[in-house]
Formats: sequence, structure tokens, C-alpha cells
Amino acid sequence: MKNEIEDWEENVQMLTDSIGAVVPPDGSVSRVRKARHVGAGFDTNIWHTMAEMGWLAITLDETCGGLGLGLREATALLKGLGKGLTPEPITPAIMALRLMADAGEKILIDEALSGEKIILAAWQATPDSVDPSAGVSIKDALLYGKKISIEGGLAAHAFVVTTPHGICIVPKDSKGLTIKSTPMHDGTFTTQLIFEGVKTSSLACTNMERSLFEAQLMHCAYLLGVSERAFEITLAYLRLRKQFGVAIGSFQALQHRSTEIKIQLELARASIAAAAGAIDTGKSHRHCQMNAHRASTRVKMLTRLVAREAVQMHGAIGYTDEADIGLYVRKAMTSVGLYGPEYRLRENYMALREIQV
Amino acid sequence: MTDTKNTPPFIAEYSTHPDFNAMSDVTFRSLVKNFVEKNYPDIPRFVQHRLSWLEVRPWYGILARAGWIAPTWPQKLGGMGLNAGKQLILIEEFERFGCGRVHDIGTAMLGPMLMQYGTKEQQDYYLPRILHGEDIWAQGYSEPDAGSDLASLRTEAIIEGDEWVINGQKTWATLGADANMIFILARTDKSVKKQAGISFLLVPMDCKGITVRPIENIEGHSELCEVFFDNVRIPLDHIVGDANNGWTMAKALLGHERVFIGAPRLSANALTRLENLARDNGLWPDPVFRDRFASLAMDLEDLTDLFETYLERLKNGEPIGAEVGVLKIFQSELYQRISEELMQISGSLAGIKKGDDNDLKHDASGTYLAARPTTIFGGSTEVMRNVLARVSLELPKQ
Repeated sequence: MKNEIEDWEENVQMLTDSIGAVVPPDGSVSRVRKARHVGAGFDTNIWHTMAEMGWLAITLDETCGGLGLGLREATALLKGLGKGLTPEPITPAIMALRLMADAGEKILIDEALSGEKIILAAWQATPDSVDPSAGVSIKDALLYGKKISIEGGLAAHAFVVTTPHGICIVPKDSKGLTIKSTPMHDGTFTTQLIFEGVKTSSLACTNMERSLFEAQLMHCAYLLGVSERAFEITLAYLRLRKQFGVAIGSFQALQHRSTEIKIQLELARASIAAAAGAIDTGKSHRHCQMNAHRASTRVKMLTRLVAREAVQMHGAIGYTDEADIGLYVRKAMTSVGLYGPEYRLRENYMALREIQV
Repeated sequence: MTDTKNTPPFIAEYSTHPDFNAMSDVTFRSLVKNFVEKNYPDIPRFVQHRLSWLEVRPWYGILARAGWIAPTWPQKLGGMGLNAGKQLILIEEFERFGCGRVHDIGTAMLGPMLMQYGTKEQQDYYLPRILHGEDIWAQGYSEPDAGSDLASLRTEAIIEGDEWVINGQKTWATLGADANMIFILARTDKSVKKQAGISFLLVPMDCKGITVRPIENIEGHSELCEVFFDNVRIPLDHIVGDANNGWTMAKALLGHERVFIGAPRLSANALTRLENLARDNGLWPDPVFRDRFASLAMDLEDLTDLFETYLERLKNGEPIGAEVGVLKIFQSELYQRISEELMQISGSLAGIKKGDDNDLKHDASGTYLAARPTTIFGGSTEVMRNVLARVSLELPKQ
């Protein structure tokens, strides 16, 4: 047990150190600024770097060519990427790999792990849905319906679509598939897929819910990184910016509001750590799902709080495109609603709470 | 229950303490549970206020005889020597049974102070008296004009011959009415910065010149007192540590307390009451209520996760920084939010006063009132946010 603890802590340290390959340690976001709405909204060269670093393989079982690490490691990675506003769609790619591994799909896993092909999970039916089986149906081996909100879908080679019967792997040029990508405020694109009788075979998959709450947790670690960095930038501004002859950070009104962010931040860190720990130490499915919903809810409330306070505390400069804080605010806007809004998560949490175990 | 009461007291089972910390959590928990069930005397349970000395004395006596009165003290000084994790279990099991809170200022505050800063003579004299319940200590820090700004206190002690002569007034002295001893912070040097001229003095309550006036609180209880000092004389050696070092010592002692004051227990109890009330009055399936309840329940669980990370740090002997204030601020505000939800769903009956003439099952207003002072004592939320902003967020001084 002792060794196990030391192991994951060491892994987290190594990953955190390696994030510098993609996220500049000096906090610069000029790469991200330039990538906005260019091409697919992210950089395929960086994607290859990520693949080489083994990040896509992080939670994948070693028997499938993965690193076999846990959610404590994955959330540390995603938090670091969030700090740098990294636009590459790593969470849906990891989710796709987890789904394919469970369904026994080998060849595509190798191609995805090498970075050669970008394969993303398409699980979401409606803007507030958290049910991975919803939105599509299969009749006579033909796929019908719709999936929405796929981050980075513009550059995807194939999609792993969750259905009531398992997963379908749908290449981007499949007949009967319409792909619609729409620009988002943060410079990325959101993609929706419309299936009008796409010929496909469905693969049995037992970990759809699990892959989803793992992705939910990784995504909220990303949001935690966004929030942490946005708060750091805002605090630095409060120390620097002078009005009425003093630093505005000396005003009690702003100090007390800042401490509220600090409180929510500490709760969010503890909540994510507990949720990741629950998964990694093999707690029950229900327990893990409740923890993931709770951590997501906390982080989402934090993200919304930081975003609105960041603009307000920066004053007029926060409303310009030039100020980096605006990039964080727009990332928060476009990302906070992914993987279920808070009210839906609370509803699910209450339902799970009452399941007798 | 009656049967177990007649069995010989469990406390006789040990002549010396085992190493509690070496036990598994499960073993220790069942040990505590068993101890409480077998030994808790016929005194009130599940009260939200502190019991009077008269009421709680039998329980204090049992804990004292068992050597359980000072869970945090080292075993060689007569304590249980519990680490943070085991302490938490002890607290949880005492809470679960609804044990009255014993007069614990001596064990929780003065004892650790003497162990760290007291002379050998002071330790040898006072510590056993606390363990045996011979001395009941009160705390005398706050003054009418020194609340959140404690360092501006004005109660003064000057040396005359071989005595300290004390003049001034303390207020909100916890357990002032029951105590026979009080420790105070007094100004002993007016010529220096306000924090630097304060000493920590030990004063017998039966000294000539001391007047005690209980303060009835908003719930109708009198746990707190005003204590007046009019030329009170105590021997020079009734000081702990060096003269004018009292502020530094009092602050240094706040390690464990700063974590435990943010323990989720008050909010957890209140949330259970909220769920029970909602189930009893048929509100439980209501989706609007459920959404609000879920927020509160998640707040509590997140707080518990955060609290445990601090326990872990205590266990590992890591330093606890100013950001620990996060726990207390959030816990006390959550407790109040839950109590307000209790009031809200009690509707027109929320104001019923629990008394001898009714068997009020869910005491909404009692909880509401009990939750009020938690954002005030032990550092008001506003002052704690000031400190957090300056120390933890490194924002400039106001």
C-alpha cells in the first residue's frame, strides 16, 4: 500500500514536469491565441507530441499498449493542460481509447496511440444529457440519430459513438454521416454528427458509464487548471493595479471576494482528489459516479465564479481581446457546460444517493 | 441499555493504556462505541449547548477515572496519546451517541500551553488537577472593546512587590460560571507594539476582587460570563512563559484547534436533521427541494474531503498554514445555510421554542440560533477573510 501511494505521487510529479513540453512554464498563451479558429482550432503537430509523450495512453490498460495509470495521474495531467488553455481534444480521445479497449478494438487503438489518427468519443445526445446511450438507435445494422458537442471533431478521422447496444466506430467519410462544425468563443470548434442510416456494426461495451464519468472527472481537472491560472492572473493584477493611489488588492471588498474563490478552489481540489482516489482504489461504481458528479459540480461552480470575478476585477481591460484573462474567460464559457450542467449532475447525484447498497 | 449499565464499568479493563494509534480504525471505533454505551451516565444526550458542571460532572468523572479525559495528551502525562485520525473517530463516536460536551478548556487549551511553555512545577501541579477534575478552567481572552481585534485588550497586570495586580474586565469567558481557575491575556507593557506587551496569567477565581456575571445568550443558556478584576493579586509565578510573550504563545498553540474548529460535524448533524424533517413532512420527493438539498449535501461532502486532507497533514506532521481558515469559514457558513433551510421548510412553525411542554422533533430555530455564533467565535469570518487575503493570497495590506 505504501509503495502504491509513493508510486502515484511520483507519477504525478513526472507528468507535471513533462507538461512543459506543451504548456510554456512562463504562462505564455500566445500559441493558443494564434491557434484560434485556424484549421481545426488546434495544432496537429502538438497532437503528435502529446501522443509521443504517452498522454493519450495514460489510463489505457498496459495490455492494450497503454500506461495503465490511474485517474490521480490523469487529473494531474489535465489540470496542467487546462492551465495553459491547451485546445487539443485530449479528454474525448482518451475516452474513445477506453471505450475501444473495452470493446476489444485493437488496430484503431494503435493508430490512435501513435497520433496517426485522431479518434474521438461522441457520447452526448442533448446539451444537458449525461446519458451516453441516448440520441441514437440502430436498425438493421444502420445507425440513426445525432450526437453533439464533440470537441476538436473537425480534425477527427473517426468517432466512437456510444449507443444503447454498445459502441459503433464511425469513420468521418462514412456514407450517411453529416458532420457539422461550428466556431466557439474560445477559438475551437464544436462538432455534431447526424447519422442517417450509417452502415456500421456495433461492438459490445461494458464501460460506457465508467468511461463517461472518468472523462467527466478529467474534464473537470482541466477546468480546475483553467480556474487556478485565471485566479493567479487576477491576483497578480490586484497586487499591481493602482487606483486612488493604492493597489486595488488592498480593498477589503475585493479581498473578501478573492477569499471566496480561494475557498471554492480548495474544496474543488479536495473533491477532485477524492473522486480520483475513489476510482483508483477500486471503490464501488456508484460511489465513484457520485464522487465524479460532486467534483464536477464543485469545479463548474468554481469556474463560473472565477470567470465572472476575473472580468470584474480586471475592470475594462478584462473586456478586451488583448488581455490574456479574456482567453481564460472564453475557455471557461465554452467548456463549463460540457459533460453535464450542474443541475443535471445534482439530480443524478440525488438519484444515486438513494440507491440502497 | 439497562443491562449494560449494570455490568461492571468497562473502565476497569485497563490498568494502563494500550497503544491506541496502533489499533486499526475499526477496532478503535468499536472500542470507543463500547466504552460510551457502557459508561455514559444518566445525563442529557444530544444537546446543542454545553451542559452545566453540575449536569456533566458524572461523565467527567468517568472519563477521568478511565484516563480518557485528555485524548490528545501524551500517555506519559495521563492522556490517551491519540493521533489526529483516532481523535476524529473518538469525536465521531461521542457525537453519534450524543454525549454531552465535558468542560474541556483545561484539556484542550491550558494543558497543551503548559506542556509547551510551562515550568516543570506548573506542569506537575496543574496537569494532574485537570485530569482529575479538581480544576475547571475558564478562558479569559476577549474584552468588551477587544473582540476580533483581540490584541488591543486593556486588562492590565502590573508588578507590585512579589505579586501581579490585575485590573480590567474580560467578557465571553467560556465556562466562567463553573470554573475555579481562569487563564487570561493581560497587558503587561504599554510602551511597545500592542501584540508585544501581553502576558499569559493563571488566576484562581476565588481571589479577592473577582466578580463573575453570567451572560444569558440568545438561546437562553449561560455558558459565557463577564469577569471583572478589581485589584486582584496573584503570586508572580502565576505566569506561563516569559512576560510579554503571551500573544505569541497563544497563537502558536492554535495548530490542532485551527483544523478541528472547521470539522464538518455541526453541519453533518444539521443536514441529517434537514433530511429527517423533509422526509417527515413529505417534502423529500419535491424536485426543487432536492436540488437545494443536493447542493448542501455536496458542500458537506466536499468539506469533509478537504477536512481529511488537513487531518492527513496533521498526521504527517506537516505545517498547517493560514489557508486552514478556509475550513472554519466554510463550515460555519454551511451550518448556517443548512439551519436556514431547516427554518424555511418548517414554514409557519419554524419559530416554535423547544421546551418541557412539547416534544419538538426537529428543532429548527434551536439549530438556527446555535449556528449563529459559529461565524463569530474563534475568529469572525470577516477577520479570517482578512487574514486569508493577506497571508494566503498575498494581497496588500488594507
